[in-house]
Amino acid sequence: MFKLTVKGLFAHKLRFALTALAVMLGVSFLSGTLVLTDTIQRTFNELFANVNRGTDAYVRSSEKLESQVGTIRPRIPASLIPEVGAVDGVASQGGKPVVQGQLQFSAQLVDKKGEPIGNPGQGSPTFGFIWDDFEQLSPWKLASGRPPRADDEVVVDKGSADKADFTIGDEVTVLTQAAPAKYTLVGIAKFGTADNPGGASVSLFTQAEAQRLAGAPNQFDGIAVGGKDGVSQSALALRIARAVDLPKVEVITGDQLTKENQNEIQKNLSFFNTFLLIFALVALFVGSFIIFNTFSIIVAQRTREMALLRAIGASGRQVVTSVLGESLVVGFLASLLGLGVGILLAGVLKALLSAFGIDIPAGGTVLKTRTVVVALAVGTIVTFMSSVFPARRAAKVPPVAAMREVSIDQTGHSIVRIVIGIVVTILGVGALALGLVQGEISLVGLGAVVVFLGVAFLGPIIARYASALLGSRPIAVLVFGAGALMTLAFGVGAAWALVGAVIQLFKSEFGTALLMLLVAALAAALAASCVNLVVAARAAFRIEGRLGTDNAERNPKRTSSTAAALMIGVALVALITILASSTKESIGATIDKAFRADYIVAPKGGGFGGAGFSPALATAVKKLPEIETATGLRFGPAKLVGASKFLIAADPKALNQLFDLQPTDPTASENLGPDQIAVSKRIADEKGWKLGDTIKAVFPNGGTTDLMVSASFGVGQQQGLSDYFVSLETFSKNYPEQFDAQVYATLKPGVSLAAGKRAMVKAVKPFANAEVQDQAQFKARQEASIDQFVNLIYALLFLAVIIAGIGIANTLALSIVERTREIGLLRAVGMTRAQLKSTIRWEAVIIALLGTVLGLIIGLVFGWAIVQALKDQGINKFAPPGPQLIVIVLIAALLAVLFAYFPARRASKLDVLKAISTE
Amino acid sequence: MTSAVSEPRTAPTSVAARAVDVSKVYGSGEAEVRALDHISVEFASSAFTAIMGPSGSGKSTLLHCLAGLDRLSSGQIFLGDVEISAANEKQLTLIRRDRIGFVFQAFNLIPTLDAEENITLPMALAGRKPDPEWFDRVVSTVGLADRLHHRPSELSGGQQQRVAVARALASQPDLIFADEPTGNLDSHAGAEILGFMRRAVTDFHQTIVMVTHDPVAASYADRVVFLADGKIVDEMLEPTADRVLDRLKNLGE
Repeated sequence: MFKLTVKGLFAHKLRFALTALAVMLGVSFLSGTLVLTDTIQRTFNELFANVNRGTDAYVRSSEKLESQVGTIRPRIPASLIPEVGAVDGVASQGGKPVVQGQLQFSAQLVDKKGEPIGNPGQGSPTFGFIWDDFEQLSPWKLASGRPPRADDEVVVDKGSADKADFTIGDEVTVLTQAAPAKYTLVGIAKFGTADNPGGASVSLFTQAEAQRLAGAPNQFDGIAVGGKDGVSQSALALRIARAVDLPKVEVITGDQLTKENQNEIQKNLSFFNTFLLIFALVALFVGSFIIFNTFSIIVAQRTREMALLRAIGASGRQVVTSVLGESLVVGFLASLLGLGVGILLAGVLKALLSAFGIDIPAGGTVLKTRTVVVALAVGTIVTFMSSVFPARRAAKVPPVAAMREVSIDQTGHSIVRIVIGIVVTILGVGALALGLVQGEISLVGLGAVVVFLGVAFLGPIIARYASALLGSRPIAVLVFGAGALMTLAFGVGAAWALVGAVIQLFKSEFGTALLMLLVAALAAALAASCVNLVVAARAAFRIEGRLGTDNAERNPKRTSSTAAALMIGVALVALITILASSTKESIGATIDKAFRADYIVAPKGGGFGGAGFSPALATAVKKLPEIETATGLRFGPAKLVGASKFLIAADPKALNQLFDLQPTDPTASENLGPDQIAVSKRIADEKGWKLGDTIKAVFPNGGTTDLMVSASFGVGQQQGLSDYFVSLETFSKNYPEQFDAQVYATLKPGVSLAAGKRAMVKAVKPFANAEVQDQAQFKARQEASIDQFVNLIYALLFLAVIIAGIGIANTLALSIVERTREIGLLRAVGMTRAQLKSTIRWEAVIIALLGTVLGLIIGLVFGWAIVQALKDQGINKFAPPGPQLIVIVLIAALLAVLFAYFPARRASKLDVLKAISTE
Repeated sequence: MTSAVSEPRTAPTSVAARAVDVSKVYGSGEAEVRALDHISVEFASSAFTAIMGPSGSGKSTLLHCLAGLDRLSSGQIFLGDVEISAANEKQLTLIRRDRIGFVFQAFNLIPTLDAEENITLPMALAGRKPDPEWFDRVVSTVGLADRLHHRPSELSGGQQQRVAVARALASQPDLIFADEPTGNLDSHAGAEILGFMRRAVTDFHQTIVMVTHDPVAASYADRVVFLADGKIVDEMLEPTADRVLDRLKNLGE
């Protein structure tokens, strides 16, 4: 039987190549993700091993605050240094004990043009550190210059220096929580052998200056200690712990510190890893439909062959084994290929992420055994499982089928199918809803998968009725019109790019000219596809289109499982589109309703969090004669009554003037004092807090603080704002760094907007990363950062859609093989090649429209459910964007025509005579 | 190599199709097979011609070449005054659609279309409406009036072939080619189909060229052309089944 398996594979090279392609793409995404995250992990592991290379013991606070942004520990007093230095076993260098206080703080370099280097909002961080005096403890090596000796001197990492073209002796501006200041560049340092630590931009200062900039006079984050040769790390740590007689201070070994750092990064990366893996799994899920479909068609087409085998004595089991054997071989070979492509794809994924502003360091390529095993196992198993049902069907072929004409049309129209399909769908919806309510993401995912399977199960019934509807004249008119418009658009685009290319050619800009030529070619290709779409839609009014519709209708199972693959991709694209537009709408509504500020100062380039501005910016703005009220807004993590929350700090008076927070008692909220907190009414009601109650809070600076609930607001996170507010005073006391994420300001009555803006722009000029925006601009920036994220997701889902497209091509190619004689007959009685192509294209369009419409419906339902579940998070508007959803439909139709290109071409090239005499 | 029967006997206008010194060669060198070996033949309008010969005699190849389904190695084929051996692929397709009717041995119909749609398929492909009067006449002749909205799977083999004959007739082509049209039918259904074809020629003045190996089928024709080894070896006017059978035996089957 094995021989038969192998022969089966060789006899149907093309169909297996296409199946293998579907498996391969999914597996390559999977292995690419694993390779990328492993590579990033190793890069960081080496980084930390390098950072802590010479550190034998590390003294730090034993208190910690676990938050969404990682573990935060309070600082420790600098007075510990001599105590630690006196411990026996501490190494010495130049007569001084090797003991170094360390600080890490936000510090952003400004280049010569006045633009900030790096964007901590979405890229690698920008840090300031103390220049370590001891070579043993320092990962830094000077590439040129010398260490900083005076407080107005700085050393920067070689990466930033190269990027900004800095040379020794340059005046360099650094933005920190202190006012922007100029430093003399005295040295350029490499981090070990790298130009910078994992893409971060770094400034290194004297200890005193670093302490000032970090707002940590006489404090350190921790103290690194180098031990004498022959003293073990644990012995040293133990001795220091005994010597340091301070509560809430602990000593760990250098190795422990490295391990902790590495684990923390791994935790942060796991989110990212999961994020990418989800898309890889989506691609595999979509691919499994294609595999299922291919094997089903192949089994159907080989019914007579199978029956013959049975007739000459093969057992049902042997037939199953032969089909499953084929799937194993295809699955394994495709997975192996996928693994290879995945290793290359890791680089593409990294480039993709960095194109969307998520720049992660990754050096070398890490291929773990785990990656190989997972990729091969998952790919093979998915292929194998997808072929189990078709194989079972093969076993049921009775030997007598060899003797009769076998109808391959299997119309799924049983009550059982309807009942099972509906039950499965409802179960999926239930799991999804439960998952959303409980915030259990894995349950949401499982529910979604089950819903997809349920709808796919109902698919044949839907396809039976929907195919005729989708092939009907009104739809054809719409497709025709849209196709014509798109033809025009792409045509104009192609012409425009071509003209542009010629102009660039005259300017001798050959690179740009080539690029524009490529754009022109692409647009022309798309325009040509649109023409095909138009022609196919026109055919729908005639017999050739009718035949296409009939073909989609005649095998509803096949049509629906082909459409199901696309359905999943489209559902997710639609879901993301709907969520994005709902989020934007919600944010927009909040800004329109609650924001009273005339201008907002926000970081350039946007992003999600990261540092902001020194409070000096708000002060400068407030001082302007044009300004009525201004306040900075600071965000920070805290533990409130045991739960991790984000709170917002602002000047209470200004806050009430700049935002419509609907305070229950305006006076109380304007006079929010130290150690007091304002909460939203919803939270107060939910937790049973009354004004005057005291709640326990843990802040990054350590200890437990009693906060009095002193005011409540009618609006909160549900309305896109925060549920917790404190005054800036409370914030300063409890957080190590004071950065205003945004600064809001209103103008005095009588001051024109233009004059106000001019004054503000001038005032914020020294703050290179600041940008003055009016409400509309601010809104646009917020939307832009959502769009950017959404575009990244689109790019990741693109693969799933491509796999679905391959599925359409595969199904069409296979059904053309099946219909060879019919096609021959059509051609014999006078169907032209062009007409035949239109028939096949129209069939593709119907399959695509079916998948797209089902996908849109599921996307809408999911989107609505998720928006309901996210009400508490401030996403309170369900806003499906009509035009974008229509564009999705059009793109799907266009893709169908594109993917139908090869099957249509193949069919039209069939030799008429051979086709009619095919068995 | 031209035989006497290929001498023009009728005025050019009454010749529906003619082959002039046509050859069809498959393969080359040792493996060369001459399916058609310098054949010249004419088919008169409003006549029913049968082509007969043993397996491998080239009868099907001749039919395919005449119908524009296959290409010649050399020679010319004219349909009326149009040289189809010089037409390109697209022209050939349109000639088949507009001027030629086909009846194949099996699998004549598109399974997704009902009988009426199958009958009007060539006209639908041309974007033309059938002549209703003619359509009704054809349909009632082949006795399909009450089966028009049945799909092929709901029709018997004989009914399916009748649909095929109706399709071939419906567009009033210059020439109808039939390739073993009764090969898959029992004798009763076969006789029915041949009867319709005979009537199409006699009553409607259609032109039919049919390949068959069945002497009974051939007896419905006005004229039988015998092929052997790619050459025309004889012809017979007003044939009967017995005479044809005798002739075939002499061909050394």
